Amino acid sequence: MEDFEILLKGSAAAHGHLCPGQVVGVRMAMEGCRLIGLDNPRELPQIKKLIVYVEMDRCATDAISFVTGVRLGRRSLRFVDNGIMAASFVNLETGKAFRICSTEASRDLAQKYAPEFTDRSQQQLEAYKKMDLDDLFTIEEVIIDVPACDMPGPTRFKSVCAKCGQVVRDKREVMKNNEILCRPCALGTYYQPLRKKGN
Amino acid sequence: MCESTKVLPFKTIPIDQAVGCTLAHDMTQVIPGEFKGPAFKKGHKVTSGDLCRLMRMGKNNLYVLDLKDDQVHEDDAVMELASALSGPGVTFSGAPREGKLELRAEYPGLFKVNFEALTEFNMIQDVMCASIHNNTHVEKNNSLAATRAIPLVIQKNDLETAVKFARQHYPIFSVKLFNPAKVRLIITGNEVYKGLIKDKFQAIVEKKTTALGATLEEVVILPDNHEMISKQIKTYLEKDTDIIITTGGMSVDPDDVTKAGIEDSGFEEIFYSAAVLPGAMFLLGYHKNTAIMGLPACGLYHKTTIFDLILPRLMAGEKPVQRDLAKLCHGGLCLNCDPCRFPVCPFGKSG
Repeated sequence: MEDFEILLKGSAAAHGHLCPGQVVGVRMAMEGCRLIGLDNPRELPQIKKLIVYVEMDRCATDAISFVTGVRLGRRSLRFVDNGIMAASFVNLETGKAFRICSTEASRDLAQKYAPEFTDRSQQQLEAYKKMDLDDLFTIEEVIIDVPACDMPGPTRFKSVCAKCGQVVRDKREVMKNNEILCRPCALGTYYQPLRKKGN
Repeated sequence: MCESTKVLPFKTIPIDQAVGCTLAHDMTQVIPGEFKGPAFKKGHKVTSGDLCRLMRMGKNNLYVLDLKDDQVHEDDAVMELASALSGPGVTFSGAPREGKLELRAEYPGLFKVNFEALTEFNMIQDVMCASIHNNTHVEKNNSLAATRAIPLVIQKNDLETAVKFARQHYPIFSVKLFNPAKVRLIITGNEVYKGLIKDKFQAIVEKKTTALGATLEEVVILPDNHEMISKQIKTYLEKDTDIIITTGGMSVDPDDVTKAGIEDSGFEEIFYSAAVLPGAMFLLGYHKNTAIMGLPACGLYHKTTIFDLILPRLMAGEKPVQRDLAKLCHGGLCLNCDPCRFPVCPFGKSG
């Protein structure tokens, strides 16, 4: 794995700006990979051994994706909408998994680590670069049983909605009133059609 | 489901020659009272550091796999079996443990088993699957079933037969979503209507219906008056109501008029009495898309009654009829255990 500064530079370029979240994300990803025994996750063969569960959709998520190479479209990046600055790193080959959570205390500790900066964001950014891991993160070993329908690789499961005919992949269909339905038909949509069908 | 007598394609090697070899199957370790699970996973490359632990597990020889073209390893086989058995709402791990996969609920709902097909599936050579009972109300991640290939290596033909059979009977397992039903309640009884005693049925009904995602839209307390009960039911039918529930008045006393009130309210189908204790004097009826349940007073005393068996089925969009109420006979006797462990008990599991 490349060193921290190179990864941070690349991550900031990919994300669009350098920010404290980038620093947290890069360090989180580097430590996560180290803990599960991956040193080159962006390339084969390790690219197929990693799944990362991120619990926020903010700057740090992009940094984690950049460092580890995990992608939504590759099914190696899973989003759990907890609104928590945390991520779990799973080695699919060994089953080893660690959850790393950014500490709230690290915000206050930024002053101690980088007193020379007065701008809050700049202070956090610089502090997070050198903060002890114990101050920056809480880390715990966890068990994550990745369902077969969430695994990377070719589509194993396909179903057809009895109402609209849409093909549903990866076991996201539901059984409602004795019919196999897609989630929009069974549970409603997150959107409202602008025009009614047929108009 | 019996194990094949065919010769297994393994080479056996002594433990002291195992360094560098790849394990052919998960190796289970049992530490009494503390741990049971795979100490080493299939595919693990044995290192010199593993030898001591393997010997402490009593392993002096190891299997090295040598698969033929017509053979499938148990872990690969069980993925195929689980895929074919699992319908909507049923999920399973991507990593078999010791050749086995546990099927779990993807969302809360009513667990359905095609029992006849599952039985036939288990008649197929070298495969098995065991499940919890049909019609069990399950929560997300509840364990539903487990399946495996019996031998470490299964003949491809046997696996294909099992998978093909399960697909033909798809879904052998599924979980039906509960509909967000609108419930309206009529509490009957002169004693409650006159305020001589405080009603306790509403809290019970509300707790049990909302637990499944229903909403209790309206509650009316009425005396034991046949006409008033019927009129109120008709009022409820004119509203957007999925389930009407009446409480009390279902027995044979002169004051028990709720049943008559329901019968006069225009239901196309009415089934009275069920092979369940507590809950024999239960009434179930249908008018268009609205169901009615007449709950006998036993629901006030017993923690679990026929109400707990039929409500999930109605909420899942089913329409049980007289035969369904009769089929509950086998297992329809509640043992009144203390504490009650329903639904993890035999009560109501035959329907």
